[in-house]
Amino acid sequence: MSLIRTISLTKRFARVTALDGLDLELEPGIIGLVGANGAGKSTLIKILLGLLQPTSGSGEVMGFDVFRQGPELRQFVGYMPEHDCLPTEVSATEFVAHMAQISGLPRAAARERTAETLRHVGLFEERYREMRGYSTGMKQRVKLAQALVHDPKLMLLDEPTNGLDPEGRDEMLHLIRRIGTEFGITIVLSSHLLSEIERVCDHLVEIEDGRLVRSASMAALTAPTSVLAIEVDGDAGQLADRLREQGVAVNRSGRFLLVQKEDDALLDIIRDSVVDLELGLVRLEQSRRRLEELFRSLPVEEEQEGSRV
Amino acid sequence: MSESTAGSIYDLGYKRYEGSRLGRRHAIWALYIYSVRGVFGIGRSLSSKVGPMGLVIIALLPAVVQLGIAAVAPADIEVIEPEEYYDFIQIVLAVFCAVVAPELVGRDQRMQTLSLYFSRALRRQDYALAKFAALITGMLAITLIPQVIMFVGNGLAANDFGDYLQDKWRDLPSILGSAILLSGFIAGIGLVIAAQTPRRAYSTVAILAAFVLPSVVGGGLFEAADQDVGRFVLLISPLHVVTGFTLWFFDAAPEVGSEIAEADLPGIAYAIEAASVALLTLALLLRRYGRISA
Repeated sequence: MSLIRTISLTKRFARVTALDGLDLELEPGIIGLVGANGAGKSTLIKILLGLLQPTSGSGEVMGFDVFRQGPELRQFVGYMPEHDCLPTEVSATEFVAHMAQISGLPRAAARERTAETLRHVGLFEERYREMRGYSTGMKQRVKLAQALVHDPKLMLLDEPTNGLDPEGRDEMLHLIRRIGTEFGITIVLSSHLLSEIERVCDHLVEIEDGRLVRSASMAALTAPTSVLAIEVDGDAGQLADRLREQGVAVNRSGRFLLVQKEDDALLDIIRDSVVDLELGLVRLEQSRRRLEELFRSLPVEEEQEGSRV
Repeated sequence: MSESTAGSIYDLGYKRYEGSRLGRRHAIWALYIYSVRGVFGIGRSLSSKVGPMGLVIIALLPAVVQLGIAAVAPADIEVIEPEEYYDFIQIVLAVFCAVVAPELVGRDQRMQTLSLYFSRALRRQDYALAKFAALITGMLAITLIPQVIMFVGNGLAANDFGDYLQDKWRDLPSILGSAILLSGFIAGIGLVIAAQTPRRAYSTVAILAAFVLPSVVGGGLFEAADQDVGRFVLLISPLHVVTGFTLWFFDAAPEVGSEIAEADLPGIAYAIEAASVALLTLALLLRRYGRISA
């Protein structure tokens, strides 16, 4: 049984088609959901939660039908929305405990787990204060806490680093990674920033215009390529010339020389050339594919959102 | 156990939750309790308590005064009859609803907390039901409680409490019935209006207007219109309806010369209208929350 399964899931709004016959099958893990703004990430998450009715198609999470068995399913699901969602007039403790009960936990258990969860997300004395005066960072922690408090099997996190400064972003990503690995909770994390997905996730799903573009493990996506990267201590140009003399095609990329590896004989040629030129060989490795190369259309830099605190 | 810098996490290890998960009914119950507490500002700051608590005190005042009179000067006279009580506090009822209903449902829209509720162990309609029940419960504090205080007060004032009970026990179902219908009727109107907008000021004004304007307009039209049509005009005014069905519950005659007396409609008409409106508003509320985006 897969964790999440959708069959030709479609959602049309008045003017746009947010999801267009999406077929998806996902196993437990830390799953990154990428796509440009408006690609359908939030719509997919909301449909899986039963917050939105799809126009057509079906969805299953942990074997529950998301439309017919919503309340049962959602006892085991945590959701952190992208937008603000916290009331201002109650304390974090009171609110998170309330949310735990709405997820089905008895009152006493809800209180106990609230204390622990708020500690896990790093909220201390301030948890007894009204949330009115909380900073963005504290609010994000409470939002994460309310999604975690009932010990869900699946957490859906929609752009969880939105509005955070670089330090807050680091801490949030670290926390999410820890929830996924140490706590063993499956996470679906949506982000429009590849670097975040790359840091935290072990599986990646890309959607664009409401359609699945790819779904693959991070390891497969960043598999070694057949390109060798060479770094030497000394004049790399000299080495490049020497290699070309021996019929090797060489590209230069910053400090590195990149050569296409066809057979192991090439390694000998490189070694001998380096020795002849009396250079120091600093690095000789098969370069890995980088995610950015796969997603030219997506923003890679973290600037735009992070600075808007 | 170690803690690195402030703001980072305690390294306590994560504990799984192996206890019971009580599901949808528990979730509805928890939301109901939380909302009832919210009605009175319990567990909130002092400023959230002032409004509702102040109004409760005002609504209870006539009953408490009566209880005091009964204690100090026991006499065999009733100062306020139960069927008159709501006329005394009509405006308090309307204001209470106008203050509390927007807090009860508008806040979750304003703060976008609805998406957290709807992504948990309940359905959208459950949310509406819990809120409706919570406001009815809150309203009972200013409808049922003062009536009960008065009933007890008048009993204590009577020469013999046993005789009084024997004489007056028939009032108890009337007290309970009128209080519940009144609470449902007013809560329904208030919540349907409050659920339309996240803006608190708008809904407060709109709720007050919904109670007060028809009363004025209805009264005016009643004067102007001819008898055959005019007698039904009062049915558009919630406050007149309240008076009408309260009299019916206690099987009492309206004050001579009052609009209710002149309209001379069967009392049950008011009761049927109030019950229909309560059910209709509940249906509208369920529909609204079935569609609201979250």
